[in-house]
Amino acid sequence: MAAPAHHVIIGNGVAGNHAAWVLRARAPDDRITIITIGALLFYDRYQLPQVFRGKHDWRAYLVHPPSYYEQNRIAVRRKCRVTHVDAERRVLTLAHREEVKYDTLLIASGGGGYLPANLIEYRPLFHSFNTFRAAMATARALPEEGTVIMLGGDILGIDVAYNLVDTGHRVLLVPHEQSFWPHKVDPSERPQLFEALSGAGIEVVDEAPVERIEAGENGAPARRVVLADGRELTGDVIMPFYGLAPALEFIARSGVDIERGLLVNPELKSTDAHIWAAGDVCQIWSADENAYRFYYGWKNVKAMGELAARNMTGSEQPFQTFIDETLTVDRAGRLHSSFWDYD
Amino acid sequence: MAELREPIYLEEKLKEIQGTGRLSYRSKSLPTWCPGCGYFSMTEGVTSALNQLGLAHKDVVIVSGIGCASRFPFFMDTYGFHTLHGRTLPVATGIKLANDKLTVIVVGGDGDGFAIGGGHIPHAARRNVDITYLLFDNGVYGLTKGQVSPTSVMGFKTKTSPYENRDAPLKPLMMLLSYGASWVGQAYAGQPHQLTDLIVQAIAHRGFSYLHILSPCVTFDKTSMTYQNLNLAVRDLPANHDPSDMIAAMTQAMDVTTPALGVLYREERPTLNDTMDEITRAAGGKPSTERAAVA
Amino acid sequence: MSDTDIQIAICGSAGDGTIAAGSILNQAMARAGYKVIAFDVYPAEIRGFGECIACSRITSAQVFSLKGQSDVLVSLNDGHAIAHVPEVRDYGAVIYDDAPISTLKEGQHISAHIKPAQLPYGLPMRELSERATSAAKSRNMVALGYLAGLYGMPRKAFHETITGKFKGKAAAIAEGNVQAFDAGYAEGEAAFRLDFIELGPAPETSSDAVMMNGNTAIVEGCMEAGLETFFGYPITPATTILEMLAARLPKQGGRVLQTEDEIAAIGAAIGAGYTGARAATATSGPGLALMTEMLGLGVMAEVPVVIFVSQRGGPSTGMPTKTEQSDLNLAVFGGSGDAKRIVLAPTNVEGCYRCAGRAFELAEQYQTPVIVLLDLYLSNRLESVSGLGKTRFAPNLSKGLDAWAPNEAYQRFAITDDWVSPRAIPGEPGGIHTVTGLEHNQLGRPKDTPEIHQLMTEKRHQKVAPAIRHADLSTYKRFGDEGEVDVGLIAWGSTFGEALEAMLQARSEGIRCAAMKVVMLSPLPVDAIRSFCADCREVLVPELNYQGQFANLLTGATGCEVHRFNRVTGRPMQVEDILGEIRRLAKVIKTERRFVAA
Repeated sequence: MAAPAHHVIIGNGVAGNHAAWVLRARAPDDRITIITIGALLFYDRYQLPQVFRGKHDWRAYLVHPPSYYEQNRIAVRRKCRVTHVDAERRVLTLAHREEVKYDTLLIASGGGGYLPANLIEYRPLFHSFNTFRAAMATARALPEEGTVIMLGGDILGIDVAYNLVDTGHRVLLVPHEQSFWPHKVDPSERPQLFEALSGAGIEVVDEAPVERIEAGENGAPARRVVLADGRELTGDVIMPFYGLAPALEFIARSGVDIERGLLVNPELKSTDAHIWAAGDVCQIWSADENAYRFYYGWKNVKAMGELAARNMTGSEQPFQTFIDETLTVDRAGRLHSSFWDYD
Repeated sequence: MAELREPIYLEEKLKEIQGTGRLSYRSKSLPTWCPGCGYFSMTEGVTSALNQLGLAHKDVVIVSGIGCASRFPFFMDTYGFHTLHGRTLPVATGIKLANDKLTVIVVGGDGDGFAIGGGHIPHAARRNVDITYLLFDNGVYGLTKGQVSPTSVMGFKTKTSPYENRDAPLKPLMMLLSYGASWVGQAYAGQPHQLTDLIVQAIAHRGFSYLHILSPCVTFDKTSMTYQNLNLAVRDLPANHDPSDMIAAMTQAMDVTTPALGVLYREERPTLNDTMDEITRAAGGKPSTERAAVA
Repeated sequence: MSDTDIQIAICGSAGDGTIAAGSILNQAMARAGYKVIAFDVYPAEIRGFGECIACSRITSAQVFSLKGQSDVLVSLNDGHAIAHVPEVRDYGAVIYDDAPISTLKEGQHISAHIKPAQLPYGLPMRELSERATSAAKSRNMVALGYLAGLYGMPRKAFHETITGKFKGKAAAIAEGNVQAFDAGYAEGEAAFRLDFIELGPAPETSSDAVMMNGNTAIVEGCMEAGLETFFGYPITPATTILEMLAARLPKQGGRVLQTEDEIAAIGAAIGAGYTGARAATATSGPGLALMTEMLGLGVMAEVPVVIFVSQRGGPSTGMPTKTEQSDLNLAVFGGSGDAKRIVLAPTNVEGCYRCAGRAFELAEQYQTPVIVLLDLYLSNRLESVSGLGKTRFAPNLSKGLDAWAPNEAYQRFAITDDWVSPRAIPGEPGGIHTVTGLEHNQLGRPKDTPEIHQLMTEKRHQKVAPAIRHADLSTYKRFGDEGEVDVGLIAWGSTFGEALEAMLQARSEGIRCAAMKVVMLSPLPVDAIRSFCADCREVLVPELNYQGQFANLLTGATGCEVHRFNRVTGRPMQVEDILGEIRRLAKVIKTERRFVAA
């Protein structure tokens, strides 16, 4: 009878949690640890726009109550940052110098908001929306009927934009080539998509590069965006949505192959025999496209997490997507992304 | 052949005694000691001493333990505290510490003092509590009818040492000297005048005075520490004895076969109450060396 | 409505400044107007790195115990604190150093043990301390500051307390500590809060309340009552009474002596009491056991003396650093013969002060030893106390010689209509007498006839009977629902605090409930207890001893049936445990009622 294995999952999102639940079902005696830099248990990120409706108690966003994790013996190490993975010794190091041994490791750390190089210096002036904390900060900084200047407008941003308009706020959208990311949109289709957005009340300004960003003081509007052609946009909050970039610094020296994301085979295994990956962080080999590619959206990410868990415990099944990656406009004129779908 | 001495006429003696005034210190209770007991001399000595020193009855507290000495306070017209076996010194310390104006006299036997009470003596002595400890050494437990005591001589047969006492007896004088008592003397109940004189000195001394009184138990010791034996054994301290010389005092104290009578050691140093006042001053308080008696 | 009720446990190793941090927290919050109850746990060893815990409960309303679970745990040493993480409630916070200096194996960092329902708060304590003061020593101040900043505690009160604590030392030391505190405060203020712990406003804007533990309150009571002589022998947990008085009593001209043993201590106290001085000693169970012979002497000789006894785990040497309530029998009955004495058992820190002062009054008034019985928990439990000086104690309640007819020969033990004889003290003319441990007649002369012994024994018992009706001291008190109740609690000593809280909670759950504290254990207020029991369907007696000593005392005196709830864990009673028992009894009653109704 083998000693209980230790399955470690880096990342507390959809991929990581679904993997944990499947692992527990398949290996009742093994140890399961989720490591995350966040402070909260797994919550439903798709619900975050509810902060604009006054839902400020994080407990209401949890997918499972704390007792679930206790009963299923899934340790959730919060506020723990992985600084190094020693794939040979199968030990990972946390920022507070604790070493954790693993038998199998699942990287499900997702991605952070990508910022074009010329905007990185303005990071302190932006508000993101990728965590509960960020969402709360945005809600606090945005007054009633306030104005959000949204830069880029990837598909996550579009969803937020709809919610902002629905809650009585004003949205100024500055388009960019990353608009509608990760959907690949033909330039000829962009105008009608922007029109659909306008129809819903999102003000789409003429596309232009961003020159600089300023913060206002003493009664002036909190934020000002100056475009390359001299136009100035003022608002309360600036939210960049230029797509995601996988967070991979911690895995850099481990020896596993990385491109933009962590490279895995169709069975979601990396170039190391004990390391798997799932979710926004990984690029899966696609024989059809003869390339590594990302898969996005709740349904894909959930499937990846569950598959990784199965493969970490003896299976060898390849990943298959069932999502049609199209961006459509419904009869009411609203955009619909298949990546928004979830159970 | 014993010398013929002048006849003593009882009436005249009585008048003489009454004239001195020392009888006023006696209460109406009659002592319950065995005739010939050394405590009678002690009573005479204490009353004379109090009389000579002119101490007011109300300012004297006599503290006794358990033993034949127990009842002593009842026979005196002073305040008194008949305490527990072996615990006279703590109670006496408390009394003196609470009221500097009182003269506190402790009486007890060798069992009360050196068996159960042994742990308290060093501390009363080293602290120099200004009390007088009259210790009656008869080498036996009298009140409980004849058991061996810490000062019983080797070979002494009693009810609890039917095969003879085999424990070496303590040497109380050496102990008290090493405990730091500031006045150490030895007397003998068979020499009552000297006993009285030494009691006066002991009470008058400012500090812890220890007077060891050899006092035969006529009822339970017919062989060992008897008047007959002691009459022959005791001697006075050498005339040139220096009571400030500790080595000389120790040398005299070591001699238990021919006990030396007199003041073995004497020094002046601050009493416990003095040091208490020093502490009060060091703490920034006012010494209340006066404690007003309730009017 | 924002009722504050936050309990914080700071856990570290000896040398981490755990207790100091707790002390500053307590004082600052008391100063800011909150009510504070605190209890510290010290390591048992003198040297080494044993575990220290400073536990504080900060409230806006008056409470009477510490909670079974804390709201916040601050770890100054994960090695010790990890074991206490389960004591933090769900949705409570755990604050720790997230930048240790050495490599750790898995599980050695406290973050590995924080439960899913608990909230983690990490900060680089050591780094911040070194930045503020160039030393890691002020980690405790950094952690304290973080805690204060996190919950919006009044910074000013902390600054004042820290500065006050280091008064007399180099200014740089106080400054450094304040800086370390501020560094932590800034971090805490900026932290994103995920717990639901709220600090409401203080009940008063500011306060002259001081933090005081039971032993200190005893000392305050002694000083206020004009204690003149104190004799003591070191014994845990009463030693600090001796130490505090050794420093303070000489300032007002009193005298303190550390004796060679407990027997000497009580002996000297009785000697001093005999002269009319207010005298006392303090000890714990083992010392009291030694003192019982002297107690008998005090009773027999009718000498006033006060003995403070702080109970600890027994029997014998027992558990010197753990609390218990198992010396009731010893205090009430210890010693040979029918030795009736007065025994008081305060229930909180302020009660310690009041009972201490009243003890001297009672001892004088009834000319007998008075034992004030507390326990280790109460001795060391800190509570915010204000307005102590407002209670005054009578300087002399002795029935003196002036109550004696001047031309009659004085009888120290004369029989009077209240059984208390006029008492002369040494130095007084016309009052000469000897007291003795032997049975004696009215003159005080030894006598052992049947009539005398009956009469004097009756005197010694009857004279103290009126003590239960003291005008200024509650010898018993009832709390909670009036009239008939389903469950009534009777408790004594520190356990009453937990009993009271359990009763209040039970009432809020709809159970008809009342609680009675009994402060005077001897003589026992029998009628009051009997009538209380008559009001209760069921009576519950919780106490920290195995044999149910108080329950035995009650049932023996009143004949009332009680349910016992005995615990000998060495720790205070838990409110939850008592409450569980109340609920159980209430359920039984409910079932019975339904059965009867059907």
